[in-house]
Amino acid sequence: MNSLQLALIAWRNLWRNPRRTLLTLCAITFGVFLAVLLTALNDRNFSDMIDVAARLGGGHVVIQHPEYIDTPNLTRTVSGTTALRAAAQADPDVSHAVDRISGQAMMSTASHNAGVMFIAYDPDNEDDTTLSFLEGITAGGLLPGGGANDKSVVLGHKLADNLHVELGDKVVYTLMDRSGEIVGGMARVGGLVGTGADSLDGGLALLPIARVREVLGYGPDEATQVALFLSDSRRSGEVAQRLHADLPPTASALTWDTVQPDLSGFIAMKVGGAVFMELVIMVLVAASIFNTLFVSVMERMREFGIMRAIGYSPRQIFGLVMWESLWLAIVGLVAGIALTAGPYWYLAKNGIDVSAAYGDEALDIAGVGFSPILNVGIFPDHAVIIGLVAMAATLTAGLYPAWRAGRVVPVDAIKLL
Amino acid sequence: MPELIVELRDVTKVFTQGKIEVHALRGLTLSVQAGEFLAISGPSGSGKSTALNLIGALDVPTTGQVLLEGRDLSQMSRRDLSHLRRDRIGFVFQAYNLLPVLTAYENAESVLALQGMAAADRRTRVLALLDELGLKGMEHRRPSELSGGQQQRVAIARAIASNPAVVLADEPTANVDSETAEKLLTLMRRLNEERGVTFLFSTHDPRVMSYARRNVHLTDGRIDRDEEATG
Repeated sequence: MNSLQLALIAWRNLWRNPRRTLLTLCAITFGVFLAVLLTALNDRNFSDMIDVAARLGGGHVVIQHPEYIDTPNLTRTVSGTTALRAAAQADPDVSHAVDRISGQAMMSTASHNAGVMFIAYDPDNEDDTTLSFLEGITAGGLLPGGGANDKSVVLGHKLADNLHVELGDKVVYTLMDRSGEIVGGMARVGGLVGTGADSLDGGLALLPIARVREVLGYGPDEATQVALFLSDSRRSGEVAQRLHADLPPTASALTWDTVQPDLSGFIAMKVGGAVFMELVIMVLVAASIFNTLFVSVMERMREFGIMRAIGYSPRQIFGLVMWESLWLAIVGLVAGIALTAGPYWYLAKNGIDVSAAYGDEALDIAGVGFSPILNVGIFPDHAVIIGLVAMAATLTAGLYPAWRAGRVVPVDAIKLL
Repeated sequence: MPELIVELRDVTKVFTQGKIEVHALRGLTLSVQAGEFLAISGPSGSGKSTALNLIGALDVPTTGQVLLEGRDLSQMSRRDLSHLRRDRIGFVFQAYNLLPVLTAYENAESVLALQGMAAADRRTRVLALLDELGLKGMEHRRPSELSGGQQQRVAIARAIASNPAVVLADEPTANVDSETAEKLLTLMRRLNEERGVTFLFSTHDPRVMSYARRNVHLTDGRIDRDEEATG
């Protein structure tokens, strides 16, 4: 008797007690539904959070001076950034590579001044896909193609208010160059930006990188960071490792989670909690299946005894019950996918608006703002893992009942006379 | 000279129930030739079921030997015993004990499928057998859709489909009415006479004993009567 014949008998056996089978299938289906949506919610939102964090600063992987992470000042630079960017972009996982100079500056007018965090970027090569602040520009902006001649600055709108400046007004920014000298530049307010976070709106300045290089006396290929953006943030470790081998000693490649340990810790904690929840769900599903199969096997011990008597081997009877378990897994998984598809599609498209739960408070985790609309989007490999874990849980739950069935002693089970 | 199919040599079987030892068989010696139509009878506790379990390779004796076609069952592994049951012994049970999810045809062919016979050969043999047993047109019915007599005929088909050395029938008429019982016994007797199938019954039913050509009566685990039927 081959496996297909056993599979057929197993399939029919499942439907001898349809109500019990349907209840078990409901448990598997609902378990898959919960696991997929929970994972999809985490995958999408943590991924978005990492992307937002990357777009706020140094990308998913940042190439910078090895000491910059501990002493982030303008003397710690990397040179030859054009070559570094070219090398990075040759990596298939890297989608964008951009130079950045960032640091602290003093922004002054004739009557006011304020300390700011500045980010100098190349307006010709960046948009809001690599620098999220650009999507918050409410008026004006830097001049594309302006190069070193672009003497404009974009200020956080509250910073502009504090400095009492408007679009077109002059401001002076002062910085400390690599030799420790105070240097400065004059700029006109070319735009205003609003992020929703008070600390940024009151202390952020965006400057053209070519102009800042000139002010600081940097070379044309010099920056404090080369920010790399990946198509999948989960590959940042591998990309950093690959790049690191070819970097000069004055540069190092760091992943986003090294640069932003608070966010990394938050996500790791949340992912750990989610994995625990999913394991609990799978254990409950497995317990439900175990219960069904065990009761079903114990009810059929006499039948298994007959089967043993007429020549079925212990292995075939074990296989029969395992087939029943496998059928439950397959049907439960398919039903789980069918049940999940609609809500998944809706949540992927529309999401859940959680803003009401937070009121007017800014949605900010580890210094990174995030959208109040929670969408879903599962990584394909995670979907495969859920499927495999559900299968494994179901099959594991079937092992003991199958073993019991295979161990039946025919003479005890059938009582021939 | 007829072939010796079953041989029990001074077989004892002792069951232990707590601290009490129950002697189910006390030195049973019995030989069954090919083509016999034999009934083992006796009161409850006489050892009928134990004897049939031992002959059916479902249990092992405490002492003595059980031989089937000359092979000592106590010397065989569990796996070999399983193969022996599949290939050389047919079982007909009191409560039919067909697999409820299989059709009449599938039940009848199940032993052949276990033996690995090709589907086409199984089909030819099983359809002919079901026809011979008066089950034509019922091949696709499940046991729940068959009467008791029809189910028992399917069980007989399953038991003899693989041409076993012996068919062990446990009270085959106990769950059917008199008319059906007569028909079943007539059928089995015909199979015995025409196909040479060796039948070994355990029974309380006088009708079975009247059909048998040899009656072995057990009392307290021993044979107290072994009679050839006359006429």
